[in-house]
Amino acid sequence: MAENKPINPRVIEKHTSALHAGFRTWASLEQGTPPALGDARWTDHLILSTWHMADTGEAPTNGLEYRTGRSEGGFDRLAFKVRPEAKWTPDSTPIRLSLPLNRRGSGREIEIDIPVYGGGMSYGSISEQVMLSRAMAAREWNTFTCTGEGGYPPALVPYRDHVITQIATGLFGVREETIRYAPILEFKYAQGAKPGLGGHLLGDKATTSVAEMRESVPWVSLFSPFPFHSVYSVEDHRKHVDWARTVNPEALVSVKVSTPHDVDMVAVGSYYAGANIIHLDGSYGGTGAAPEIAKKNIAMPIEFAIPRVHRYLESEGIRDEIVLMASGGIRTAYDVAKAVALGADGCVLGTSELVALGCTRCANCERGRGCTYGLTTTDPELSLLVDPAWGAQRIGNFYQALKTQLEGILRRLGLTSIQALRGRTDLLVYTRNGIG
Amino acid sequence: MTEQTSRPHYERYHIETDKAPDIVRWPNRFNVKVGKVGLATHLVKEVIHQKGDLELILARPCIYGVFSRPVGGFAPDQKKCVGCLRCMNEYPEFVEVSRNPARERLGDSYFVSTYVDAVAYEAESGRVPVKGAGYRGKFGGADWDGIWTDMSEIVRPTRDGIHGREFISTVVDIGTKPGFLSFDGEGRPVGPLPNTFTIPLPMIFDAPAEQVATDTLYRTLARAAGAIESLAILPLGVILRLGLSGEHLAPLVGPGEVDRLDALGFAPRLVEVDGWDAELFDVVRARFPQAQVALRLPFGGEAELLQCADCGVSVFHLTTDYHGRGAGGAFIFDLIRDAHTAFVEAGRRDEVTLLGSGGVIAAEHVPKAIAAGLDAVALDTPLLVALQARFSGDFTSRHTNGVSLPNRLTAEWGAARLSNLMAAWRDQLLEVLGAMGLREVRRLRGEMGRVLLQKDLEYEAFAEIEGYLSEGV
Repeated sequence: MAENKPINPRVIEKHTSALHAGFRTWASLEQGTPPALGDARWTDHLILSTWHMADTGEAPTNGLEYRTGRSEGGFDRLAFKVRPEAKWTPDSTPIRLSLPLNRRGSGREIEIDIPVYGGGMSYGSISEQVMLSRAMAAREWNTFTCTGEGGYPPALVPYRDHVITQIATGLFGVREETIRYAPILEFKYAQGAKPGLGGHLLGDKATTSVAEMRESVPWVSLFSPFPFHSVYSVEDHRKHVDWARTVNPEALVSVKVSTPHDVDMVAVGSYYAGANIIHLDGSYGGTGAAPEIAKKNIAMPIEFAIPRVHRYLESEGIRDEIVLMASGGIRTAYDVAKAVALGADGCVLGTSELVALGCTRCANCERGRGCTYGLTTTDPELSLLVDPAWGAQRIGNFYQALKTQLEGILRRLGLTSIQALRGRTDLLVYTRNGIG
Repeated sequence: MTEQTSRPHYERYHIETDKAPDIVRWPNRFNVKVGKVGLATHLVKEVIHQKGDLELILARPCIYGVFSRPVGGFAPDQKKCVGCLRCMNEYPEFVEVSRNPARERLGDSYFVSTYVDAVAYEAESGRVPVKGAGYRGKFGGADWDGIWTDMSEIVRPTRDGIHGREFISTVVDIGTKPGFLSFDGEGRPVGPLPNTFTIPLPMIFDAPAEQVATDTLYRTLARAAGAIESLAILPLGVILRLGLSGEHLAPLVGPGEVDRLDALGFAPRLVEVDGWDAELFDVVRARFPQAQVALRLPFGGEAELLQCADCGVSVFHLTTDYHGRGAGGAFIFDLIRDAHTAFVEAGRRDEVTLLGSGGVIAAEHVPKAIAAGLDAVALDTPLLVALQARFSGDFTSRHTNGVSLPNRLTAEWGAARLSNLMAAWRDQLLEVLGAMGLREVRRLRGEMGRVLLQKDLEYEAFAEIEGYLSEGV
């Protein structure tokens, strides 16, 4: 088995050096763009510009279109109505991007410095090195990453103040101590890429270490059922939250749901069950493995779910008591800003962090040894292609570029904080190309 | 009779699958070009830089075996390439991976290569396509692409049905059911009674295009329909000529074939009459009193449908062209809704069965078509693509030229491919039903509340955004 194969560190060094140089070369456009790179949602330019940002911490200036994709809908049709320059927020005025995650008026106060945090990606779907990269970047940027549903590797414990423990339907790796670690607990009811279908980890990726972490059998496919066996109603959901709070009374509670027709009512139910954060995961989000039929065809894209939930929470008079986080197709700083303008408080990132680490979106995450870049794999050799310190720097640089761009967008809109942008659809314009 | 044999026998419906590899090699998905001079130069540098360490020099970037031949990059094994681009990232100076235009030309302007790839995988493996990463296509679009199916977040009755612990039924009824039953003073039913038969999945096989139809293809369709306990609509003349028989066959009868009806040596469950001919219809009904007699018509003309129902037609097989277009260019989804709504408004929907054909080329189209109002789908072009048919130009109708099947097609291989395809599509139907929380596909029929239309969602979300009403609608 692959786990017994001796690993030559010099081979790893050879490949990582070549890969790092290659990411830089392609992002420079010196060789043009790779002809097979990209798709309508993540274009070749978006991938290359993310590599550039992860390398430099700055948006590219070489002509790469780093703001929108070519999906011909949703965020790619929206742009901002930039105000006349005289009305821009002056450079001397600081822009606040921080986001409080508890608006209940009681309980622990947690504020993140940027309006994004990392979404759940399990050990098994990604490597421990990638988890560490994300956790180190989260600590550096005073935000969070999330365990996903695959257990809590011990290497993550030193970063626990910046790690969300996810409690998902299979309860893989969920133990009392991992619940106690967490400043935030995330109940994952569903995932945008496979709403209503539960989680999949195909047998090839259920290595002995993954199986041990999940307390399962190696090389056997793992399915998280859908939905929670203990939750048949909103009342049950309340009891579920109470159970977690009994184990960790200090933790904030996030409820992650996908985007069905009645997502607005689900959000209100979560609020009354005591959630601090409602996390909407739209149907175009990432995944380590999902039936192709689910990715496109089940539940609505996040662009439609955000305003529906935002308005409903407003009409219920509870909008300012709950934090609305959006994920599922958030690729760029511009997507973040558009999501906030549609009504979200902040966004949760997943795929964009992996792209920052070199992902080409080739969609082979689920197979065999997994990702050839060492991202969505637990293969002991491939996973060494990502050094956590390098990975943390790449994600941190990407955050830096995100921050700079968000500040720029807010300045050009005459605003001084990300919170002031929430629900400001009057600042958006529907366009053919989503650039404004 | 022993106790054992008197017990009713229950067997859960299941389609057997078995790997059925391609018999024709289709173009690779990717072209891998390695500059030989660049590679040779690189190797020389490696020999010097790595000081002859062969393990290092020969460490290749591909884990899928593209460079696993003895000569490595000098003769890449392109068919193994999955497009991860790692080789290109490590060696941007002399490696290029590109999508193969020949692969992307498979299919036609409607049945585009991404659908061909999906059908080919399903037909070969019998499995649901599962991939990593998120959705890669356009945001939405016209026709099927502007429709999402709903799901139930917390409260739902199916509870793990898709993973085998609870049953989700895909059985559909074909025939007629009265809106209500009437009883005489002694409690005996009077008036019309339900008259249906069932098939275990809402998918049957339509009669193939005449231009491509060979005896082997007919035998393939018949064999596969029997294996999955569904139906294959085949021309009456073909059934007679090939000596086919069995309740999985639905003879398609055209004008002028009345005299041949008596030659049919078995009792079909369904007979289809091609076009409205009152006399022919009555003769067929009289000849096969045990069977449901379907009327094959193009979509459109709801008043005509109701008139035919008045004349005793209880099963309609409504068709568009192979691209899902009916008269005036209307798309099949809208045409299904019109037909379904006409019967609902007349209070007669349960009295008829609506079968539909045209433009259903992917697993996700089946639940969408049923939600629009069909009882079952009669499949056409996906069956041919599963058999590795090649299109030349747009393939739009049963009477269009421009499609060819592999010369090596055999009924055994073909039936295995079609069984695999149906297994994969049924499993995906279960995924969609499970996500919705529906226990049976019959409950999905006409349930427009279970679909989300892009035009509605977009209007709700964006109507107040400047430019939407002028640009987006």
